[in-house]
Amino acid sequence: MSAGGPGGEAVSAETANQVDIKGIGVGLVGIYIAGISGIPYLAFLAGIGAIFATKMGADAVRRVCSYGIGTGVPSIGMLALGMGIISAMFGLALGKMYNAVFIGPIVGLVLALVIGFVVGTLANKIIKLNIPVMERCLMEIAGAGVLALTGLSVMIAGSMDFVVISEKVITTGYIAPVFILGALGILHPFNASLGPDETQDRTLVHAYSCGAIAMVIGGLCSIAVIDSIAGMISIVVGLVIWYVTFMGFVKLVKRDAGAGYVGTGLLPPGAM
Amino acid sequence: MTEISVGLMLADHWISIIGIIIGGICIAVGVHFVPVGGAPAAMAQATGIGTGTVQLAAGSGLTGLLAAGYMYMVLSADGAYVGTSQIALICATGAVGAMIMISVTMLVGNWVYIYGVGVPPASAKRDYDPITGDSQAPYVAAGTVGQGLPTVCFVSGTIGGLLGGLGGSLVYCMLMWVNGDPAISSIFAIGVFLVNAVLPSYNIQGTIEGFHDPKFKRVPKAILACFIASLLCGIIAVTIPGIAALGGV
Repeated sequence: MSAGGPGGEAVSAETANQVDIKGIGVGLVGIYIAGISGIPYLAFLAGIGAIFATKMGADAVRRVCSYGIGTGVPSIGMLALGMGIISAMFGLALGKMYNAVFIGPIVGLVLALVIGFVVGTLANKIIKLNIPVMERCLMEIAGAGVLALTGLSVMIAGSMDFVVISEKVITTGYIAPVFILGALGILHPFNASLGPDETQDRTLVHAYSCGAIAMVIGGLCSIAVIDSIAGMISIVVGLVIWYVTFMGFVKLVKRDAGAGYVGTGLLPPGAM
Repeated sequence: MTEISVGLMLADHWISIIGIIIGGICIAVGVHFVPVGGAPAAMAQATGIGTGTVQLAAGSGLTGLLAAGYMYMVLSADGAYVGTSQIALICATGAVGAMIMISVTMLVGNWVYIYGVGVPPASAKRDYDPITGDSQAPYVAAGTVGQGLPTVCFVSGTIGGLLGGLGGSLVYCMLMWVNGDPAISSIFAIGVFLVNAVLPSYNIQGTIEGFHDPKFKRVPKAILACFIASLLCGIIAVTIPGIAALGGV
């Protein structure tokens, strides 16, 4: 809603609480199995966690942006990852400092919720955006940012150790695609689907497919840093998820287009 | 370093927190100077550059960060100490990098508006350009709120680039003092930069023409919001040591 007209509360089939529980639950479980087991072949589970976290972020973006924030949807996705990267790295570093790497993702998540709440309050109380769901949605978006970033980083590095992630993901520069693909998965689904005929299931299935693309790219990066077989597993799983969800998205697009949808085929030879 | 804890890191690096806050406020004010037109400007129906605040801020900020990072590398070669005067040089480099990026964007954008779209640059917020004194109202096409980038917007945008690049480089330098790791510092600087660029963009509701726009008067609200946000980000960022302190290579 880049033009920023006044909107209203978005209609949802799946409630915010359900999306959040799935996003945080699957996200953390995936990250923990991948990070603690130490088996590189299970690293792809962190990517699946990141996909669910992405969907949680996309749903929050959908709810907050249906009010019309005036700056375009991408800004809120970049905000998510801006808050997310600080919290995620702090969580992982804190775990390393106190020799308890397993607290990393949870500390990062809690911190992101705090930052999200503060930034949401600033936006509502000081900047006076006056969007009733702002605080909650920014908490969810920041949390999604942390889980997506941590999930993809753990998938690439195959470990939750801050030193390993720092060496294999940050110093190598793979953090850049992780950052921007994580943000795209959160901001793009609603940005692409917004409008008066926007439906929740279509936006969210799009979020799954964006998350799967991030997972495929993450798998490509992990070929170079952990293990080529582990990387291939992530790529194949990501491609399968992408294919299934993208076909589902196409089906929902046709459903929402209703009787107005006509296949035009390619351009006639004379027009090319 | 044998023992590291959050409290110790905070006590050692309080000056870096202040630096991050100043940097964050520079970024926030800089966003208000950049002529952001959003989607209407992309269709030549509003004054400014035809994209969103975050894209512009991130673009100029990252260019500034690259310039600053290179300067940091040159100045700290062979383990030379990076003190206040070096930081001034690094910040100046970052500011110039960001100014070049935003100026080139505005210049080429103006070519597209003038020669491609065929519109004269004009502002609808003022009858006369505050810098050149040129009449604006007759050149604003009917049904639009201005188009292109008149002189005042260009000058304002360059100031915005200066402040954005300065702020981003300052945050980067402060983080380098804390952890000494360019990769962690730069990714954190990007995080702090984005938070401080998005909050002001909500303040201007997505579009602004520059310092002559009435919306510019809202800048104190953004400064207050970004002060709190940067304080929070700064406290978190300075408690993360570099991997050297954590036993990495």
